[in-house]
Amino acid sequence: MSEPPRTPKSQPPDFSAWVDLHGDYLYKYAIFRLRDGSAAEDCVQETFLAALKAYRGFEGRGSERTWLVGILKHKVTDHFRRVTREAPIGETEGEEFEHNEFFTRTDEWTNHWNAGYAPSDWHATPAELVERGDFWKVLNDCLSPLPERTASAFTLREVDGLTSEQICEALNITVNNLWVMLHRARLHLRNCLEINWFTKETRD
Amino acid sequence: MALRAYDKIKHAVRWWLLRRLPTCKQTVKVISESMERKLSLRERVTVKLHLWICLWCVWYLEHLNLMRDTIRTKASQEPNLDSSSLPQLSAEARERMKLRLSQPND
Repeated sequence: MSEPPRTPKSQPPDFSAWVDLHGDYLYKYAIFRLRDGSAAEDCVQETFLAALKAYRGFEGRGSERTWLVGILKHKVTDHFRRVTREAPIGETEGEEFEHNEFFTRTDEWTNHWNAGYAPSDWHATPAELVERGDFWKVLNDCLSPLPERTASAFTLREVDGLTSEQICEALNITVNNLWVMLHRARLHLRNCLEINWFTKETRD
Repeated sequence: MALRAYDKIKHAVRWWLLRRLPTCKQTVKVISESMERKLSLRERVTVKLHLWICLWCVWYLEHLNLMRDTIRTKASQEPNLDSSSLPQLSAEARERMKLRLSQPND
């Protein structure tokens, strides 16, 4: 398989070669953020088609992959925008992820940690966790029950490191909405990881 | 003997403080917001005091930082995404995209 030529002056490059050259890379990039195979496929396809149209403007400036990732980045944000923009945020969206049960106690220490849900020592470092493929699966499984907008806010914040303003604009929410969502996402994820990853072997 | 008295005093101080400080439920919310904005002086002091006497909330903060650092490390390794264990494009999607790209005018 040949690389598409950088300067296709004489003949048009074989654009379908992009699929083998960059398809998996772009798909992994998208699925890491979207967690949804068909949405990730759509974003990759839209990226290729947009790149096809814009190719004349690109022609050999910089790395082809970096250029494609730049387009994909926009397609992913557009996807988040599309799925969240039509639906204004409801009063009760994600309320169950406030997880009041974590802080319900029968003694005088109500609103403090219930020992059954309280954090324990994880003895883990980012370097170890990053290498574990199954950790990403558990993380994704833990994100999936969250409302779409909450999970998207968390992803845009933690994976892409976007600013509050950028996320609020993309998801059509206020900064207070955003903080509440991030708090709920973290409360839920932390507990879910503790149960499904960190204490799985030692429990029952 | 002296040690037991010390423990008793420590316990009393913790109890007294925990009664007056924001609860764990309130504190974990502020801990999350501390990752998004600069806390007020009052919030910083009460969170610090709370963390001084509540190991569970200390671990909570550690775990949030661990999640953030792990995800950011993973994201920073994106140049090596090819060799990661994330799923690959299905053969069907691959063929469909190749077809669309080779017949751009359809």
